[in-house]
Amino acid sequence: MKAVIIVKTLLGMAPNCKKVTSFLAEYVEGTLPEKVAKQFEQHIGMCKCCGPYFDQYRATINLIKEGQEVKIPDELVEHTMTFLRNNANFSR
Amino acid sequence: MIEKAKSPIEESIVEPDLDALLAGDEKAFELLVNQESPRLFRIVFRIVGDEEEAKNILQETFLQAFQRIQTFRRESKFTTWLYAIGINLARGSLRKSKRMTSLDDSDVERLQPSFSKGMFVESPESWDPLRLAEQSDRHELLHRAIDNLPEDYKAIVILRDIEEHSTEEVAKMLDISGGAVRVRLHRARVALRAMLNPHFQYQRQTAE
Ligand SMILES: [Zn+2]
Repeated sequence: MKAVIIVKTLLGMAPNCKKVTSFLAEYVEGTLPEKVAKQFEQHIGMCKCCGPYFDQYRATINLIKEGQEVKIPDELVEHTMTFLRNNANFSR
Repeated sequence: MIEKAKSPIEESIVEPDLDALLAGDEKAFELLVNQESPRLFRIVFRIVGDEEEAKNILQETFLQAFQRIQTFRRESKFTTWLYAIGINLARGSLRKSKRMTSLDDSDVERLQPSFSKGMFVESPESWDPLRLAEQSDRHELLHRAIDNLPEDYKAIVILRDIEEHSTEEVAKMLDISGGAVRVRLHRARVALRAMLNPHFQYQRQTAE
């Protein structure tokens, strides 16, 4: 087991996939320390699992951000203000 | 009018006149309602998914803000405090009206990848960029997936990824720690990825 870890480290595969996927959010956010980000990128570049997983994580975020637009009702402000004038004892 | 999600920084912000609001000044409230309604409506609508309900929640939010303004501690931005009221009302309404059974925390857990000795148990397969590009209903797919998330996860995805509020603001709005916001946002994205996965994988050639 130890040998596997050493070989992986030499190949730049450390840290392992579990660790790497736990860093995804921080990596995307740009808050990983530089050294860890480097290791992360090395791993992502080599790993058959984390590579596609990272792409999909990013694609998901992009899809979320594209999102659906919300139509703001035209009378929204008046709808609230009428309600407030009736219920909110303004003092002035 | 169609409003695209904008980050708070992009919108020109006039700081609300707190003294006038505290004095119960109608003009100050009107200014506040004018300025904050579109952004607050987008958040509330995305949570409850119903225009009429969202409009009513906005009324109630501003009324509660008026009634409770003396309890505002200047520890957060005023708008953060205001949004917290609206988000709470929206979540309460969602809980009451929950039509379909949504996922719970254990479902979200199940949608996280499993590892053995630090390696993926099931290796993720690549997505087909063509399917990703061509799937015209991909936003609808995603919308339904977000709708299915437990409501705290859903609120965090809406506030962080769609409306792009900062982790710290969202933490204050939801009254949880910044760490909890970060963890749940990540878990929500992972769960969404898992829900989208079957739709975007390369389609296998069926042997015939
Ligand atoms: Zn890996």
